[in-house]
Amino acid sequence: MELDLIGDQELLRDTATRFMDASCPLDVVRQLNTTDTGLPANYMQDAAELGWFSLLVPAEDGGGSVSGDGLRDAAILAEERGRRLQPGPFVPMNVVASALATRGSADQKAKVLPAIMNGEALATVAAADGAGAWPPGAGLSASSAGDRFILSGCAGLAQDAALADWFLVAARSPAGQRQFLVPSSTPGVSLARRGAHDITQRFASVDFEGVELDADAVVGHPGGTADDLERQLQLALVLSVAETVGAIEALFDMTRRYAIDRIAFGRPIGSFQAVKHQLADMSLSVEAGISISAAATRAVQAGQDDAGEIASMAKAWVGDTGIDIAQGCFQVFGGIGYTWEHDLHLFLRRITMNSLLYGQPDWHRERICELHGL
Amino acid sequence: MMDQAATGSSPSDRSNPGAVPDLDGYRRQVRAWLAGHCERRNGPPEPHEIDYYTPEVMATNRALQRVLFEGGYAGITWPKEYGGQGLPAEYEIAFLDEASDYVLPDFGVLTGTTFHVCVPTMIAHGQPEFLEEFVPRVLAGEALVCQFFSEPSSGSDLAGARTRATKDGDQWVINGQKIWSTYAHLSDWGFCLARSNWDVPKHRGLTWFAVPSKSPGLTIRPIRQINETSEFCEDYFDDVVVPDRNRIGDVDHGWTVTQTMLVSERGAGRPLGSSEGVRPGPIAPDLVQLARRSGALGDAVVRQKLARAHTIDFVGRALAARIAELGRLGRLDAGVAAYGKLFLGTYNPIRARLGVEIGGAQAMSWEPSDEQGADASMAYLNSRIMSIAGGTNEMQRNGIGERALGLPREPSFDTNKPFTEVLRDARDWTGTS
Repeated sequence: MELDLIGDQELLRDTATRFMDASCPLDVVRQLNTTDTGLPANYMQDAAELGWFSLLVPAEDGGGSVSGDGLRDAAILAEERGRRLQPGPFVPMNVVASALATRGSADQKAKVLPAIMNGEALATVAAADGAGAWPPGAGLSASSAGDRFILSGCAGLAQDAALADWFLVAARSPAGQRQFLVPSSTPGVSLARRGAHDITQRFASVDFEGVELDADAVVGHPGGTADDLERQLQLALVLSVAETVGAIEALFDMTRRYAIDRIAFGRPIGSFQAVKHQLADMSLSVEAGISISAAATRAVQAGQDDAGEIASMAKAWVGDTGIDIAQGCFQVFGGIGYTWEHDLHLFLRRITMNSLLYGQPDWHRERICELHGL
Repeated sequence: MMDQAATGSSPSDRSNPGAVPDLDGYRRQVRAWLAGHCERRNGPPEPHEIDYYTPEVMATNRALQRVLFEGGYAGITWPKEYGGQGLPAEYEIAFLDEASDYVLPDFGVLTGTTFHVCVPTMIAHGQPEFLEEFVPRVLAGEALVCQFFSEPSSGSDLAGARTRATKDGDQWVINGQKIWSTYAHLSDWGFCLARSNWDVPKHRGLTWFAVPSKSPGLTIRPIRQINETSEFCEDYFDDVVVPDRNRIGDVDHGWTVTQTMLVSERGAGRPLGSSEGVRPGPIAPDLVQLARRSGALGDAVVRQKLARAHTIDFVGRALAARIAELGRLGRLDAGVAAYGKLFLGTYNPIRARLGVEIGGAQAMSWEPSDEQGADASMAYLNSRIMSIAGGTNEMQRNGIGERALGLPREPSFDTNKPFTEVLRDARDWTGTS
């Protein structure tokens, strides 16, 4: 959590947490994998009313942030969502909204963007390759046919693809990378549901088989798409890291309380140095994660020239240490953590999934070297 | 950490005492004074080698400290009656901000032990007749203070000190041995913890003293370290006599003084920088040079290690910035402050090991002209300093566990019985009482 929230940010956070606690507490989250949509009824629309999908959109396009720093506001929400393992495409919706606000055509901004901001339309990012790996757009290719485009390939790990009305896709083309906003109902688009490690979120692979697109599906300009994708990746990284940090904080605090409450050998187990020192080390990682997450949020918000690198460092660090923390918490809970009824596995699943999403730590480390010209 | 904080400023005009200028006016005053009296730095300060500090280097910096003192910019927040300027912390922060491009006094570790740890604690607990004479000399650069804390048989267990202080009329006689006293051989004074009462539990029989380093009977010997330099000393007290006025805090109540000092040591009360603007800078330049030299820059495994080291460097700074921000917001306690030290204690060895791995044969066997190989080897040997010195990682974990996380303490077997009995029983301890 950022330390110096202004009053309006506190209000945003408090309103959001009340909504989440009322509509989707953890006992609801753990039931979602048996439902059709994986979301409580009206969840996205209600969230939209609270402004969740407008924060990265300028006021002149109908959006607005409470502090003037939309990404910082969104990161506050992401962290609170992470604490509560909230479902739904919060990160992709914000990435798409930002992309359309900055690069969308007049038509996309007039018709699609408002529907995303008010939660009537769901949009998601389909940018990973078929195996779910980055860089964006590696799995799809676009060829032009007159003023139309033909899209082929597979995009993996598209969050809530089954609910999406729109896909923001990235594809390779002879003219370089291109982006398209594709209606999910377009002929040739099909979904393959897959088994899921993380039962608190839904992902699907999206197949594109000779999908024909009009020129009005294009987002951005041919020469600018690489920069657009970089910006979108940075936004996704900041929000995904903030969400993971929230999950880590909540899981660690649960574990800390357990170490105080749980009695063995006549003492709270947290009094044993073997346990206490594990918790101290984990809490160091929690604090470091909070610190690097805040640094990444500020860097990307400010558009610093090293923002991409800082965002990747945040993702690599929190991706690795998050798993260490989740595994360490598992060890402190002992056998009870291996039961379905306990919440630990829900956090373990989310934290591990998020470590993979938007690039694994190793991928980001290689990217850091490349960004330094090595 | 060894910034010049406490040497700061004060509204300099000694001929016009009593008037506290407004902060903007103070800044202007500082700016003008610095331009007339101090030297600008060429670029950011670089860390010095451990053996950089010599009596000659110290003398140069003592002279600079005197310039600050005479200008009214030493001890900005320290009490006026002891030669300080008695101003609020924001004046010190303003001074440091204005002075950030200037060369300020640098006594290495003794800057911190003198100005941040020992003397602020002495001011809080010492006797006025001692402080009136002593503190102005500190501010004038004439009294650098080292720490006579650890002993061969008590390091982390500070309250287990066995150096003996015996009252003799209006003076004390000190006998025993201290160790790990950084730069004691370059110091003028030491802040010494001694046992004044052996028949009470260990925390209740301790007393602190300010001891001149040149006292008859006090022998200070530099210790040769694994890096072949001598930063630490061992100190033999053989009937060292100090007057009672040098006693800091009440007799047998030294642990109260210690509490003040530990908070001060961990950063409370120190002006803290801003957390904004922490930038990563170039990627682990030392390790990139090693990799370039061995032609391994294209190796995927080496590249992972370079990025790991760079990430460790930046996360450490982001964490330090967060701790500084907590301090600025008044939300810092000793438990949270310990994260900064535990981070370095945990990750310095990892980073140094990455260097040795990237360096490979170069870091184990180098051409005489190859500084990178030698540097990697040296960094590796030095990498556990923060894991041990000033409280081991284990002590930081206890502090974090108990203060920041609210976990119960381990039961202890030595806190409630007389210290003489503790010493007598320890060897035969079976874990039951």
